[in-house]
Amino acid sequence: MDAYTIGVLTNIGLFSFVALSAYLLLVAGELSFGQQAFFGVGAYAGGIFTAMYGWPLPLAALAAMTLGALAQFLVGLPTLRLRGLYFAMSTLAAAEMARILFELLHFQREVKGELTGPDGTQGFRGIRWIFEHGIEPIDYLGMVVGLLAVVLAGFFLVERSRLGATLRGVGQDPELAASLGIDIQRVKLGVAAAAGALAALGGVLYAHHNTYIEPRNFDIMLGVHSLAYALIGGLGTAFGPLLGVVLDIGALEGSRVFHDYRMIVFGGLVALLLVFRPRGLLDERMVRWLRARLP
Amino acid sequence: MLELKALSRHFGGVRAVDGIDLAVAGGQIFGLIGPNGSGKSTTVNVITGLLPPTSGTILFRGEDIGALPTHLRLRAGIARTFQNIRLFGQLSVWQNLWVAQNSAEDRARQGFFARWLGGQGGVREEIARLLEFSGLAHKQDELAANLAFGEQRRLELARALAARPKLLLLDEPAAGMNSEEIAQLRDRILKLRDTGITIVLVEHVMELVMGVTDRIAVLNFGQKIAEGTPAEIQAHPAVRKAYLGGEAA
Repeated sequence: MDAYTIGVLTNIGLFSFVALSAYLLLVAGELSFGQQAFFGVGAYAGGIFTAMYGWPLPLAALAAMTLGALAQFLVGLPTLRLRGLYFAMSTLAAAEMARILFELLHFQREVKGELTGPDGTQGFRGIRWIFEHGIEPIDYLGMVVGLLAVVLAGFFLVERSRLGATLRGVGQDPELAASLGIDIQRVKLGVAAAAGALAALGGVLYAHHNTYIEPRNFDIMLGVHSLAYALIGGLGTAFGPLLGVVLDIGALEGSRVFHDYRMIVFGGLVALLLVFRPRGLLDERMVRWLRARLP
Repeated sequence: MLELKALSRHFGGVRAVDGIDLAVAGGQIFGLIGPNGSGKSTTVNVITGLLPPTSGTILFRGEDIGALPTHLRLRAGIARTFQNIRLFGQLSVWQNLWVAQNSAEDRARQGFFARWLGGQGGVREEIARLLEFSGLAHKQDELAANLAFGEQRRLELARALAARPKLLLLDEPAAGMNSEEIAQLRDRILKLRDTGITIVLVEHVMELVMGVTDRIAVLNFGQKIAEGTPAEIQAHPAVRKAYLGGEAA
C-alpha cells in the first residue's frame, strides 16, 4: 500500500469513531451537531498527556476518553432536558464554546528544551508519540482498525441486548418508554457519556496521526459531517455510519476524480437521502431484509 | 388500591378534569365512562404521570404518588394501555415485550448476563407466556408496525402485563373492535382480574363495560356525575341525560 492509501484508510478509521458517536445519539433519538467538541477534547487531552507529560498513548487514550465522557455527560445534564431541535441547537452552542475555549487555551511547558503544548489559535504542535516509538503508518492503521473492531463488537453486543432494544425504544417514543418504567433521562445521559468517550477516542487517534492540531480542526463542519455520515449510512446498524464515512472520505475525498467537487456531491447526497431514505441507506428495514437473506 | 382526591387538570381555561374523587378497591374492575371529551383519558394521563395534575391528590396503595415521575409510577405497579395505540413499531413483537419487562422484581431475579442477552429461563418463559395469552406467539418476530390493528391492541395489553402491574389502566381497549374481538377481550380482562390485578377500564363500548365491571364512575365535562354498580348506572337519570340528551331523563 502506498502512503496515500494508508493515509486515506487511517482517516476513514479515525472519523468512524466520531460518526459512531453521532449514530449512538441518533439511535437514542437525539440530534447532536456538537460531537466535534468531544473529538477536540480527546485530541487536546491525549496530546497534552503524551507530548507534555510523557504518558504512554494507551493510558493517554483512556484518560482522554474518560474526560470526553465526563464532558458530554456534564453538557448533557442541562441540555438533555431539551427536546428535538432545541437540544440540537444547544449541542451546537456547546461545541462552539468548546472551540473558543481551545482558542483561548495557552498551556505550554518545556519538554526536552522545547516549548510544547496548546498555544491558542497557533495550535498544538509536536504530538509525536507514534514517531518517537517507531510506529509505522501501516501499523498505526492496524491499531486504528483494531480499536474500531473492538468498538463495533461492543455495538453489536449492545444491539442484541435489552439495553439496545431499549435505546431504540427511547429514540422512537420517549414518552411511551417512560410509561414502561424506563428512566429516559438516565438512559440518555448514559448514551451521552458513551458518545463523548467514543468521539474523544477518535480525537486522540486523530491528534497522534496528524501530530498537529488547532482549534479550527474542531469546527462545525466536523460535527455536521459526523451527523451526515450516520444519516447517509443508516440508523439500522453500526455499519451505517461506517458506510457514510467510506462514501465521503473514501469515494469523494480520496478519489482524485471527485476531490474538488466533494462538498457539492456530498451535500447533494445528503439532500437526496433525507428525501428518499430519511433513516439512511442501511435503515432498520434494510437491515432486517439483509438479515433474512444473509447466512 | 387507587384513590383520587379532588383531582383537577386544567388546560388554560378548559377544565378537562375538575375536582374528581374516586376510590378503586383492590381486585375490582372499575369502569370509567363518559361522553367524548369528558376527561377520561386526561384522568389516566394524570394518574400515570404523563400530565401533572393542576391540583388534588393521587394515592396508590395509601401513598401519595402525585410527584413521582412516570417511570417510577410504573415501577410502583401502575401499567397502562393507550387509546391511540403506541408501540415501538421498528422493534419486533418479542422485543416490545422484552423492553417492557424491566420491573425491579425482574432485575433482582435475573443475573446480569442473563438479562443482557435476553436470558435463559425466566425472561423468555414469561414472554412466551404473554405471547400465548394474547394469541401472538406466531407473530413474535414480526415488526410491531406490521401487525393488524387487533393484534396491535393485544400486544399493548401483553406489554402492560409484562411489567407485572398491580393496577392496570385500560384506555378504550375495545375501540375499533368487532363483537367477536370484544368477547375475547372480555375473557382476557376477567382472567386478569382472577390473577389479582386491579383494573380501571376506560371505555365507550357499553356491551363490554356493563358485562365486566364491578363498579362504574361516570364523568361529564370533567366532573363525576354518578357512581355505582352497572345496574345502578344504567338506571341513573343524570347518566341517561348525559349520554342521550335532555329528553331521555
